[in-house]
Amino acid sequence: MERSSSPYGLLARFRGPEPLLTAARALRDAGFKNWDTHTPFPVHGMDDAMGLKPSRVPLFVLVLGLGGAAAGMLLQWWVSVRAYPLTISGKPFFSWPAFVPIMFEVGVLGGATGAVLGFLGLSKLPRHHHELFSSAAFEHVTDDGFFVSIEASDPQFDADVTPEMLRRLGAVDVETVMTEEST
Amino acid sequence: MTAAHQHPELDKDIVRKHDSPMRSYMVLAIGVAALLLGWLFGRQAPGSWLTAYLVGFVYALTLALGGLFFTLLHHACRASWAVSVRRLAEAAGATLPLFLPLFVPIALGYRRIYAWTNPQNANPAMQELLAHKAPYLNGPWFLTRSVIYLLIWAWMGWWFWRRSVGEDDTPDPAVARRLRTISAPALVVFALTINFAAIDWIMSLAPSWFSTMVGVYFFAGIAPAGFALVAVPAVILRRRGVLSGAVTDEHLHDLGKMLFAWIVFWGYIAFSQFMLIWYANIPEETKWYATRLNGTWLDVTVALAFAHFILPFFFLLSRKTKRNGVTLAAAAIWMLLAHLLDVFWLIAPSTPDGAGGPIGLALTVLGFAAIFFGAFALAARRAALVPLGDPRLQESLEFETV
Amino acid sequence: MIRAGLTSRPGRPGELMAERVDIDPIQGRAPLIEGAATFHDITETVARPVEWKPPLGWWLVFGVSVSLLALFLVSIAWLFWEGVGVWGNNVPVAWGFPIINFVFWVGIGHAGTLISAILFLLRQRWRTSINRAAEAMTIFAVMCALIFPGIHVGRPWVAYWLAPLPNQMGTWPQFRSPLMWDVFAVSIYGTVSLIFWYVGMIPDLATLRDRAKRLVRKRVYGFFALGWRGSNRQWSHYEKAYLLLAGLATPLVLSVHSVVSFDFAVAQLPGWHSTIFPPYFVAGAIFSGMAMVVTLMVICRVAFGLKRLITPLHFDRMAKLILLTGSMVAFAYVTELFIAWYSGNLFEMFTARNRALGPYAHAYWLMMFCNMAVPQIFWFRKARVHMPTLFVASILVNVGMWLERFVIVVTSLHRDFLPANWGLFKPTFWDIATLAGSFGLFFTMFCLFVRFMPMVAMSEVKGVLPEAQTDEETAAVPASEAWQES
Repeated sequence: MERSSSPYGLLARFRGPEPLLTAARALRDAGFKNWDTHTPFPVHGMDDAMGLKPSRVPLFVLVLGLGGAAAGMLLQWWVSVRAYPLTISGKPFFSWPAFVPIMFEVGVLGGATGAVLGFLGLSKLPRHHHELFSSAAFEHVTDDGFFVSIEASDPQFDADVTPEMLRRLGAVDVETVMTEEST
Repeated sequence: MTAAHQHPELDKDIVRKHDSPMRSYMVLAIGVAALLLGWLFGRQAPGSWLTAYLVGFVYALTLALGGLFFTLLHHACRASWAVSVRRLAEAAGATLPLFLPLFVPIALGYRRIYAWTNPQNANPAMQELLAHKAPYLNGPWFLTRSVIYLLIWAWMGWWFWRRSVGEDDTPDPAVARRLRTISAPALVVFALTINFAAIDWIMSLAPSWFSTMVGVYFFAGIAPAGFALVAVPAVILRRRGVLSGAVTDEHLHDLGKMLFAWIVFWGYIAFSQFMLIWYANIPEETKWYATRLNGTWLDVTVALAFAHFILPFFFLLSRKTKRNGVTLAAAAIWMLLAHLLDVFWLIAPSTPDGAGGPIGLALTVLGFAAIFFGAFALAARRAALVPLGDPRLQESLEFETV
Repeated sequence: MIRAGLTSRPGRPGELMAERVDIDPIQGRAPLIEGAATFHDITETVARPVEWKPPLGWWLVFGVSVSLLALFLVSIAWLFWEGVGVWGNNVPVAWGFPIINFVFWVGIGHAGTLISAILFLLRQRWRTSINRAAEAMTIFAVMCALIFPGIHVGRPWVAYWLAPLPNQMGTWPQFRSPLMWDVFAVSIYGTVSLIFWYVGMIPDLATLRDRAKRLVRKRVYGFFALGWRGSNRQWSHYEKAYLLLAGLATPLVLSVHSVVSFDFAVAQLPGWHSTIFPPYFVAGAIFSGMAMVVTLMVICRVAFGLKRLITPLHFDRMAKLILLTGSMVAFAYVTELFIAWYSGNLFEMFTARNRALGPYAHAYWLMMFCNMAVPQIFWFRKARVHMPTLFVASILVNVGMWLERFVIVVTSLHRDFLPANWGLFKPTFWDIATLAGSFGLFFTMFCLFVRFMPMVAMSEVKGVLPEAQTDEETAAVPASEAWQES
């Protein structure tokens, strides 16, 4: 089986959060689209520096949260009024005050599920294999490494110019990361 | 993560300089006049008038207490974000001494609204019960306690305002530390006095009723009122350019978040008290809710649930409404009105004569509101609108919310 | 940089770094992490216990815990075999140790959520050193809690009837019962806590994955790390999710222990039917939970070399929270006593008197001492940072809180309305064995946690280091104040 590699992109390492922010702003202003920064913790101000739009996770939470609450109330109503009505201490079948706690709890469960699904879905996780993992330096990203990755598929990407540009922005190391394709 | 935030420049002269206090005196005068008019209107039915007076009194008092709570809380937590708006809360708390003279009509006429003062009118079972409560529910002790609460609050409101104001020109870190150290035990005293004031003034209106939650419920109304009370002038003064150096979108956002949190707390407390009493269905407890769930009072109860909880909950959920001055101020004003409804709902249904006609009630309540806001503005005028001497002011100006 | 500096000044034993914490509380704030730490330092400090052989102390604690766990399993097996009669539950005290233990463990769990979620929303950055361990504590406490209602039903093999599932009998659960509310509340609380804990751990699991030398470890950590690569686009979603989970977990904490309090408060029993129960129970839960966190952290920081990350400052804050919530509990005691008298209700007054003067008075007064008197020591700064004091006080608080549930359950049930129905409750050997055994489960899980998982939230701690601050945060602020906890 033949394996041909094409470059996935560049991986540039920076000294710390400050130089990374500066570089990110420059890349954003230069019009790069298929790129990302990688840090061991979320760097304050990076979303702006990268020109990212606010995350859409809250939408998932709201929809699933309200849906959960409605489902909780619906379940209790259906069971207590239609499916299996019981007379308990003279209370009405639809004892809404008694149904509030469960309605609330199921709503919270829905919201939490929404948060997780939104986070994982929008982050495209789990993704156990990624081209960047083939870089040895990249192992430091979860320790104290600050990186920029630019994909070769980006329209602004130029195999000769871009590495130089990154070095000028303060990268201490620039490497080319290859994809592994099998034919 | 967030949009580029502002580093406001605080113009110390603007926050110090005040225009003429004539307007505030006028508002005060209008308030007194409205109260007098309300008395003239309601003179024929003194029980109703006194009920309306009690509603107005408790309403204005809880606004001042809300300001005091805001101050105590932020001193105790060493919260720096709130420093730039804290002076507004301090000024609200500084009006507390006023409530001592305002209490006089209640002290003179409380026998008309508190049924336990007239045991001879009650049935034998009730008489026996009232005899049991007599060591606590008797005129002299009741009045003494009320005066004690008012004195304590007056002292706390004045002291925290005075110490903070004294720092404006000559900042002294020892003072700031003192304020912080005293605020913690002050909160303990605050909690106890609020609790027993609620028991005395609100719970004893229905002398056979009892609920251990009453003090917490009263507090749950005071806290959002305090935050709403700070938010409104913060927005207005920012628009006028006076506080534009001190109050940023971040502050509004945090005020909005805290207001939202206290509204949720109120909803939780209100629902818990209701649900537990509903569930156990014990007549001596359900009586109080039965009054409020029948006839016209049912409409008021439903309106209260929507106005004080459901609507503001969804309105303040969004980040945008909290960061925008107009929407936040609108929500805050709404909450101040909802709080009035809450106080009215707590008091009026349990009084023998009710609160009387709408005109008399409106005049009395408006009178109290005017007196409070007039005094609030006067207290705010006597010093800079921002605690210039607070060591954490700089942090507050620059802070960014989550 | 920070005043009072980083030079080590030998203090009295146990008073470790009290002097360093005594930084002018107004001008400057004490450092969150002591010593000049780099990001790599944090990684090393936290990851080391996970990668090295555990110290002897760990084996000792683990050994004792596993033995207690074995006792737990034996107790449960015996219970299933013989029936609920092996316990002291009887008429009139039909609810005994199981529900006391249930409420006790659920309460302890709440502090973890408070530290993770509520302190996050309040921007208290000092939480980053302890929130991971606190969240783990929540998960394990909820596990212990959920077991008790499961085993205390007479026929545990049909406990699944509590779930709203269609069945051939055509029956459905009765949703108006607070016990059903418990089923939902506590299981949802466990689920959401697990979600919150796990999501928070993903970046740290990735750290362990990247450091792992052995393939097995790399695979396992890697699997659970989901392929995390620290991408800012992912961080952006992560932070939003974390914020919203914190925002959801906060009302969840309030609601769960309120629902637990409803178990008692919806009844008509004097001493149980008290409207203040929901916030009183929530405050009590946080009170006992914080005490448990303190107990655990006093040990862990020494045992795992985490003293620079879990500093006297953290204990100062936790002690203040213990004092605050303890005061709320005391407030509730005072209010209940007053209203019991005020109500004029013969049964309420008797219950109050019986608690203080009846057959269980010893439990009552010990509870009062532990819950009302002991926390008062935390008004004093010296006590708040003195490790032995913290350790002893936190254990006493938990003893007091267990006793509080004992007093509530037993004294209200053993003498209620009808004197002919009065009786006494005597715990049996198996009651105590099961309680002790539950501690075995808790500590076994906690030992495994500190052995295999990152005990401190590395990515969060790194985020609050000075090196992590960018110019947006430090622009106009002098360097000495560049980095402060909120």
